[in-house]
Amino acid sequence: MSQIDHSSTPLARPAKGRGTMRILRALVQDRAAMIAACFLVLLILSATLGASLLASHASGVNMAMRNAPPQLSGGWAYLLGGDNLGRSLLARLVVGSRTTLGIAASAVICSMVIGATLGLIAGLRSGIVGDVIMRVTDVIMSFPALLTALIVLYLLGPSVANLVLVLAITRIPVYLRTVRAEVLEIRRRPFVNAARSMGASEFWVVRHHLLPLILPTLLTIASVDFAAVIIAESGLSFLGLGIQPPTFTWGAMVATGRAYLTQAWWVTFFPGLAIMLTTLSLTLLSNWLRLVTDPNQRWRFAKGGK
Amino acid sequence: MAIFRRSFLTLVSLLVLLILVFFLSRLTGDPSYLFLPVNATPEARAAFAQANGFDQPLVTQFITYVQNMLTGDFGTSLRQQRPAIDIALEAFPITLKLAGVTLAIAIAGALVMGSLAAWKPRGLVDRTVGLTSLAGASAPDFWVAITLVLIFSVSLGILPTSGMGGIAYWILPVIVLGLRPFGLLVQVVRGAMIAALSSPYVKTARAKGASETRVIFVHALRNSMLPVITVAGDIAASLMNGAVIVETIFGWPGIGGVMINAILQRDFAVIQATILVTAIAILILNIVVDLLYGVLDPRVRAA
Amino acid sequence: MMQLNLRGATAIGLVLGALSLAPAFAQDAAKITIVLPEEPPSLEPCDAKHSSIGRVVIRNITEPLTMLDPQSGEVVPMLATEWQQVDADTWRFKLRQGVTFSDGTPFDAKAVIAAFKRLDRTDVVCNTKQQTMGGVDLTVTEIDPHEVEITSSKPSPILPTMITVVQMSAPSMDMNGASRQPVGTGPYKFQSWQPGQQITLARRDDYWGDAPVITDASFVWRSESAVRAAMVAQGEADVALIIAETDATDPKMDYAYPNGETTRLRIATNVPPLNDVRVRKALNMALDLDALKPIVGDEVTRAEQLVPQNTDGFDAGLKPYPYDPAGARALLDEARAEGVPVDTQIDIIGRDGIYVGAAEMLQAMQAMWAEVGLNVNIRMFDTGNWLRYQNRPFPEPDAPLLGQDQHDNLLGDASFTLFNKYHSNGVNSMLWDDQVDQLIIKGENATGAERTQAFQQAFRRIHDDLAADIFMYHMVGYTRVGPRIDWKPTIATNSEIAISEMKLAK
Repeated sequence: MSQIDHSSTPLARPAKGRGTMRILRALVQDRAAMIAACFLVLLILSATLGASLLASHASGVNMAMRNAPPQLSGGWAYLLGGDNLGRSLLARLVVGSRTTLGIAASAVICSMVIGATLGLIAGLRSGIVGDVIMRVTDVIMSFPALLTALIVLYLLGPSVANLVLVLAITRIPVYLRTVRAEVLEIRRRPFVNAARSMGASEFWVVRHHLLPLILPTLLTIASVDFAAVIIAESGLSFLGLGIQPPTFTWGAMVATGRAYLTQAWWVTFFPGLAIMLTTLSLTLLSNWLRLVTDPNQRWRFAKGGK
Repeated sequence: MAIFRRSFLTLVSLLVLLILVFFLSRLTGDPSYLFLPVNATPEARAAFAQANGFDQPLVTQFITYVQNMLTGDFGTSLRQQRPAIDIALEAFPITLKLAGVTLAIAIAGALVMGSLAAWKPRGLVDRTVGLTSLAGASAPDFWVAITLVLIFSVSLGILPTSGMGGIAYWILPVIVLGLRPFGLLVQVVRGAMIAALSSPYVKTARAKGASETRVIFVHALRNSMLPVITVAGDIAASLMNGAVIVETIFGWPGIGGVMINAILQRDFAVIQATILVTAIAILILNIVVDLLYGVLDPRVRAA
Repeated sequence: MMQLNLRGATAIGLVLGALSLAPAFAQDAAKITIVLPEEPPSLEPCDAKHSSIGRVVIRNITEPLTMLDPQSGEVVPMLATEWQQVDADTWRFKLRQGVTFSDGTPFDAKAVIAAFKRLDRTDVVCNTKQQTMGGVDLTVTEIDPHEVEITSSKPSPILPTMITVVQMSAPSMDMNGASRQPVGTGPYKFQSWQPGQQITLARRDDYWGDAPVITDASFVWRSESAVRAAMVAQGEADVALIIAETDATDPKMDYAYPNGETTRLRIATNVPPLNDVRVRKALNMALDLDALKPIVGDEVTRAEQLVPQNTDGFDAGLKPYPYDPAGARALLDEARAEGVPVDTQIDIIGRDGIYVGAAEMLQAMQAMWAEVGLNVNIRMFDTGNWLRYQNRPFPEPDAPLLGQDQHDNLLGDASFTLFNKYHSNGVNSMLWDDQVDQLIIKGENATGAERTQAFQQAFRRIHDDLAADIFMYHMVGYTRVGPRIDWKPTIATNSEIAISEMKLAK
């Protein structure tokens, strides 16, 4: 039963034309997922087109509009208010989305891919290779991120790539340990043994049995990590690692607004909200994707989403 | 046997960690800049280095460190001029208490709410729990912390702003610290439960006529604990390393704040002592998590 | 989750309130709590120049021989009642009689000798000596039990000012590490220290001066300015030291006061294009620093020199560079025409948190410089790395750098600033100018009007002729004082808080 189901999940086998249509139809049916998807599309547009269009509005100094509250008068620029140097918060949110998404996505994807790969290996090879991987993980988990950051700064110098490296390294263990735990469990299930005994290669088993089962948990962690990575990034920029003004991220916007919490809540609130909405959309979409692609869950759609 | 092998290997990681921390932290700069006044002469810096043994080759310094450690001397804090291990051991219990309470509440809450959400995916409960927990998990922690202080202490006047004391002092720190663990765990529980609820053994249990409550909280929950425990273990480890924001905002003198300050101050002995203490906790935690896998699913025997 | 928890917390909070489990804030009438930004690393008197130590120790637990009056900047008696100069390097101080340390030991010449000895210890860092006395060695000898002679290794015309920083610690204090239980002659004695949580002091009954009103004081610390301010608003504390301008929102409780700090960007005057005075002037003229004041605090004033008013050598006649972007552009064009590499990228070495608004200030300046066509790049560093750029030998000696800097001179004499910051041999100096060197040396060896004039001329040359810095502001601090106490912060408050000066409000 389930071994057949799993080997036919669309995640395991990229959906063909009809599959895509089915997914799209399911998307339209699910309002929350639809909104999430629209938001992410908007975000990608803002990071690509918007960031280029509004770049000039996001810099400069306009002390007259310092910490200006959100307002309708004066056009779109101060719709969300002004920041501590009187720059349009809206324009900065749009311009900042490019660096923010770039850094957070690279860091999260790097840590997820590296963590998952090593976790798979550690789960499948219980000998010395697995031991080494797990004990290195222990070391990474016990190593403070700030110290990692300072060391990278000294050894490799400041750059965006190194910032991503630091953010990724510190988040590897959670993916690694999660994947390994699942692999240890799943590989003992009857359908995996069955596939093995039928002569399937290890790669085939991983690709067709393990990944589809592990991916949902990974995506969930990755979505929530997205917010954590953005906040952590702003914590490291004061060391001089990575993004330096006049470039900025949402995390940096939240961090500079911190001093004005009592006076001008909007300076931190809107970038914070943007981080929140992005995380929320990613999670909603990954949750939805898991439901739609899991054959065991399809009955829910068949019965009208109950 | 496995446990001995595992403990031995863990000791090896601890040793590797200590070596790495010792040598790498010394790459991050000369502490004399931070401990001597800004107008200190090069001669004064040299005298400082000599008085603290920094003029010796790194390997010599490391041998001295290990020798002293064997006699129970973990070095002296440059900043406080007292034994570094005292500083670490004063701070650690505070972190442990705060992390323990927070994690217990977050896990319990996540199990209940996550199960309810998984019971009817995309139902009202799922939507509400999902939205609120994710909002909490992705909000910047200092923002939440200060906003809560402003609301509950300044405006309403029902909770103390900060400090350590009775139950009233715990409420805000635990909430702020627990938001992210709770948000992440709810999602993980929900995901694992959805998978478990549609798995063969749950179907079997249903077929045998077990009540829905029993199906959810006994059969499904037990079988979805694996990822939950793994993620909870990871969260616990990061809490051991300190809940810096919460500690500093609420004035809880835990080990996270001590560690961060020591790193920024290049107070090497304290960096080493705090990492030693937290690493032991994290390593023990990892062993416990691995043992739990075996308890939950006898087929899994961690290597 | 946030909403759920908020609701939950409200419910719990209400219950707690009803059961009155919430802490009772009403404190004993004469007991106060002061909330500091950070925990002191120790209470070592010989390191009391470390401001987090000084705030607890100075004039509460230990006292100096002489002190600076924060209002006038004059040296006034403390444990020494009078003094006179014997010759160029020798001074005599008469000691106050009838003074005892809180452990009962009498305060006499032997105690003074022991206290100065404590400065010379090498097992722990004693910054006081290094920071304020440079290379000068002081020898104390007993004339009689109530008079000492202090000899300096080189002529020190302002010796009574220099020794305001030397705390008279009890001879009974051991030399084992940095002290965490100091003993002094002050109006309060050290009571307890719960690491990470609080330090308590109690009033002495046998203090030599007037008995203070406040009987007990506890020091606690919170690193977040908003929380410090909230604690006073809530009645959990009576004084919140150094809050951010943005948290100083209650005019009834919040005081703004000059804190003795002066901010600048130090220019690497030896590296092209910064070695051209026109470029340096253009850098100054391109900035609308009056408009940018709100970033660091509305009450700050423009600075033309690195010392505050009331400092011997301060030149009140200096005028700040006007905001003149057109003029700046013209100067840059002129320099460019002569082959000065004006378009080279200039780097700022910044440090987040050196003062409130530090990072934003740099961004605003960067934007204003971009307006006149200058290519300025910001590089932020943590304190440890930033400090490397403060001292010789300088890293990257060939790079055109602007170093973000804040300097305090609370000792009332420009000599504590000028040599280190501007002399060709000063450890923090990026200026090499013979005329400035001569004026500094001339001033250091002179007294009275001659000293004042020499220092003033040095500042004038540095500002008007050389434009050696990006001159910024004399800074202000903000401190919140609760309604129970009658007390006002002064220029000295960042480094010392004399509890004996606090009264209870009527």
